Amino acid sequence: MKKSLSVLAVLALGAGLLSGCGGSDEDGASGGTTPDGKVKLTAIMTKHSLTQEFSKMEWLKQAEERAGVQIEWQEVSADWGQKKGALLAGGDIPDLIIGPNAISDADYAQFPGLFEDLTPLIASSGPNVQKMFDEKPETKAIATQLDGKIYGLPKYQRFWPDTTTRQYINKKWLDNLGLKEPTNWDELYDVLVAFKEKDANGNGDPNDEIPMDFAPSGTGGFGAFMPTMLLGSEGLTMTDNSGQGYFVEDGKIKNFFTDERYKDLVAFLHKCYAAGLISKEVFTQDYTKYQSVARGSGDTAAVGFTWGWEVTDRVGNALAPQYESLAPLKKSADSTVQPTWSYDYNSLNYGVNMVSMASTSKNKEAAMKFINELYDPTVSMQVLFGSLGTNIKDNGDGSYSVLPPEDKAMDPGTWKWTSTWADNGPMYISDSLKLTLGTDMQSVGSQTEPLKAALDGIDKKKDVLPTMFIKYSVEDNNTMTLNNTAMLSLTMAKWAEWVTNGGVEDQWNEYLDNVKKTGIEKNVEIIQKYYDDYMSKN
Amino acid sequence: MVPQNPYEHPVNLRPYKKKKPTVLNTFRRDYQLWIMIFPAIVVIFIFNYIPMYGIQLAFRDYNFAKGLTGGEWRGLFYFKQFFESYQFADLMKNTVVISLSTVVLSFPAPIILALLINQLRWKRAKKALQTTVYLPHFISIVVMVGLLNVLLSPNSGVIGHLLQSVGLGDVNLLGSTSTFVPVYVISEIWQHCGWNSIIYLAALSTVDPQLYDAAKIDGASRWQTIRNIEIPALIPTIIILFVLSMGSVLSTGFEKIFLMQNSLNLPVSEVIATYVYKIGIVSNQFSYSAAIGLFNTLINFFFLYTMNLVARKTSETSLW
Amino acid sequence: MQLVQKKEKATAHKRNFGEWAFDAVVFALCLLIFLSIVYPLYFVVIASISNSTLVSTGQVTIFPKEISFFGYSEIFKDQRIWTGYGNTILYTVLGTFVNLLFTLPAAYVLSRQEFRARRFIMFAFVLTLFFGGGLIPTYLLMKDLHLINTIWVFILPFSVNVYNLIIARSFFESSIPKELYEAAAMDGCSHFRYFGSVVLPLSKAIVSVIGLYYLVAHWNDFFTGLIYIRSNGLQPLQIVLRDILLSNQVFSQGAGAGGAAGGYAQQYADQVKYGVIIVSTLPILLVYPFLQKYFDKGVMIGSVKG
Repeated sequence: MKKSLSVLAVLALGAGLLSGCGGSDEDGASGGTTPDGKVKLTAIMTKHSLTQEFSKMEWLKQAEERAGVQIEWQEVSADWGQKKGALLAGGDIPDLIIGPNAISDADYAQFPGLFEDLTPLIASSGPNVQKMFDEKPETKAIATQLDGKIYGLPKYQRFWPDTTTRQYINKKWLDNLGLKEPTNWDELYDVLVAFKEKDANGNGDPNDEIPMDFAPSGTGGFGAFMPTMLLGSEGLTMTDNSGQGYFVEDGKIKNFFTDERYKDLVAFLHKCYAAGLISKEVFTQDYTKYQSVARGSGDTAAVGFTWGWEVTDRVGNALAPQYESLAPLKKSADSTVQPTWSYDYNSLNYGVNMVSMASTSKNKEAAMKFINELYDPTVSMQVLFGSLGTNIKDNGDGSYSVLPPEDKAMDPGTWKWTSTWADNGPMYISDSLKLTLGTDMQSVGSQTEPLKAALDGIDKKKDVLPTMFIKYSVEDNNTMTLNNTAMLSLTMAKWAEWVTNGGVEDQWNEYLDNVKKTGIEKNVEIIQKYYDDYMSKN
Repeated sequence: MVPQNPYEHPVNLRPYKKKKPTVLNTFRRDYQLWIMIFPAIVVIFIFNYIPMYGIQLAFRDYNFAKGLTGGEWRGLFYFKQFFESYQFADLMKNTVVISLSTVVLSFPAPIILALLINQLRWKRAKKALQTTVYLPHFISIVVMVGLLNVLLSPNSGVIGHLLQSVGLGDVNLLGSTSTFVPVYVISEIWQHCGWNSIIYLAALSTVDPQLYDAAKIDGASRWQTIRNIEIPALIPTIIILFVLSMGSVLSTGFEKIFLMQNSLNLPVSEVIATYVYKIGIVSNQFSYSAAIGLFNTLINFFFLYTMNLVARKTSETSLW
Repeated sequence: MQLVQKKEKATAHKRNFGEWAFDAVVFALCLLIFLSIVYPLYFVVIASISNSTLVSTGQVTIFPKEISFFGYSEIFKDQRIWTGYGNTILYTVLGTFVNLLFTLPAAYVLSRQEFRARRFIMFAFVLTLFFGGGLIPTYLLMKDLHLINTIWVFILPFSVNVYNLIIARSFFESSIPKELYEAAAMDGCSHFRYFGSVVLPLSKAIVSVIGLYYLVAHWNDFFTGLIYIRSNGLQPLQIVLRDILLSNQVFSQGAGAGGAAGGYAQQYADQVKYGVIIVSTLPILLVYPFLQKYFDKGVMIGSVKG
């Protein structure tokens, strides 16, 4: 009878379940050797989702070949945080985990014994890593944990500018209206008003200009391309965009969310918003929209004043010639404060914990050999820009040049991200490497020029927060996270409310009291402690 | 209650005429039933009950070296930490507002839709509608929120324009504390109403056609047919699903709310689920999140338990 | 009822009008619902082939603009898509079969009033809807059972969904006439046979619904693949698609975070987003019409009495 058959099947499955069926063992790929004598390794890499399959990367094939390993890759580009939790707690990690801060300092501390201290391995079979440590001692500082061990290796990519954010204004609009480039907030305001009221782009419609636009400030703090850049006008130097507000001034840790200068900025932005000078959707648009809007239509620009990474990236190739990179503004014409800018050199050029090794790995030597390959200067260059031949040209005289994209319609940035690990890979681009960059990086460089005076004027000793170099203990980390979560949910909401509806003047004192309740002072205290400790050693 | 003869297997009739039926003395009679439910019990025991020892993580520190059960005992420390946290009151309020309005408003929608579809006489239209309404269910949350962003944008969205044309002009649906919950709930209904109506359609399909014929002969109007035949046929399903939905008064999804959050709607859009996510970004706060999760669960379970009690007292249908 | 009848005879004309008006209202409402659902869906389709800059600035509303199939070529360029499809179909078919095999008999048992352990078991099952050990102990369990990185992890764990079980049970309870078992038992029919040859054929509607629920759950499941699978060869479709899809979020965190990549690749990622929905949903759409016929009015009773 059919039914009794089904019941039998049920029982059989049930029994199979009980005995832990599914037979096939833990893949066992790691640790063995291939027929041709290569060591088998397993690895996870957190890559960008548009990055092509690793099997198509020529440089990687060669690097594995030279290291005598064959790696079974698991390429992850989404939900890494979730996956990581289970992976680490289960103690079940592959030989290598690669990716920018894929395993964080907090993880090393929370999962003791899971990762290998690389110090002896570097000494025995990591000459390229050792060379990086010797030439750039700060890389060793970044890598060394509180207990003095090295679990994750950093990267150094040398060519990146001092700051993520450049400031752009539409020069053509200024010319159309016979205006000068603004040099302070008041002039900026007047320019923006003119952009709004007149037909700045000259298409006959005086109402389609967006005078000012900035990247959507999320709920978790600020980032690049946001108007917090204007805090520089008040002499407040941010480090790595100071997303959660922390900055250092003359050796003292502060948070700008409770700073009078921040209040002034909010008031100024509200004045602009109320006058219709800022995009109405500035707090609700996503990043895609922010980018798309600025592309205007044809050669009619839509945005007057904005921030971005590089001008063709920000407004597209068609409109790029209309824009000019603008120097930092003063707060007012009679201000004596030397304008400054967000100093992001460290976070742009260094990266922590790019590669970690499992302490359970059966072939640590082989794994280290492979890591060492990645830090070879010519390999590192290919990690970042792509394989020799297709992406990089060997000039034959010991120098190299980054090639333009094969597909003419593609921009160099996308070309890089699709063809190789790019910034997500471990690398050491040594200062002695002779490499000519692609057009995108060259123009980033030239568009940073107007900011140079401000950036050079920064006192790197006393006004830059060495975030990259500080390691917090687990407890301090937890305390700070909890406090920051509470603080940001309050401050970011107030920020948006004040800019759109005003009220910063009236509510400021009450707000200060509330922010204090979230534990911001405790956090400042913690950071100060670590900062002082760091400064005393360096 | 003394079971009626016909319900029993004839062979096993005798043993429990004499004493109260219990699991033990009905086991021989019901062995077939036990066989049929055995796999389910095994699966649920193994995969749901065995890992439950993990609940104690809410009362302990997480210690990787010593395992889940080896960390230092902290008692109610993490619960207190949550209750005393700066955001606790706001989180609770926002969570309850969002989940309650979702439950209350999105619960009747699929019932109405099912009845409506059932009334549609034109067969083709019925098929077309039925196939269409359940499609939105398959749109992933990331794209759903992207869709909302594009369509609701005050400057460029279709719905934004529509609202402007009826004079609701300058409301930014995406960035206001007063529109966040409505947008969230309505988009939930839009996305899942059709899918959820499937179960009701199935229940309606079991109505005996003779009942319809009888109603017709009695001259009942369409409206009366709905009230006297179709709704009663749905009642058991409605009760069960309602009781189950009461078990989620403190659960909101995470991803959709998180993606819909922006600094303008943050005062109403920060919920327990997003809070737990944010505190875990830098380091895994295993114990703290476990405590918050357990607190959530207890409240949800309390509501389900109460609702089930009410259902059992007032109708024949209940979960257990 | 009689009163209604009389009244109706008197105003047959009025009743026809009433009927007509009722139908008209039903039709109008349905049309409204249809349009409000179809437009956004249509939008997904045209957005998947339009220039993404135009899409996000609201310039694509009725017709696609600057048509390109970049999104699709990007999706199908990924070799993993095809293995993903194969795996997902395998997991879905096998998984749904096991689900139904475990769930339906259990639901039947729990619908039997005379089953003494019924309330206790129900309660124990419902508890699991709420209380769970969390990810870590579950992961460790899977590891101990050697389920990690095998196809069984998609099929065996949680193969009984308590929610579906409850729905099936209450359906059996309320829709299968009690007299049927009485009659069958008189003939000496066992539970196995009664379930197989009476209950199941009468419950095509609920079997289809539960089957559909399970099917879709398997189809959409990315979490299992994410947590428990290491080999690319075993990954289901949703993992591959989610990888492609979420790249959008990488940038939304603030472009500077991605190693200052700027938003270069963003534009491309965006066009892919809508295509992903279509690629992942299309196959499952094909299943629905086959199940739909079981929801037609009177299917069940017809099969008994007809």
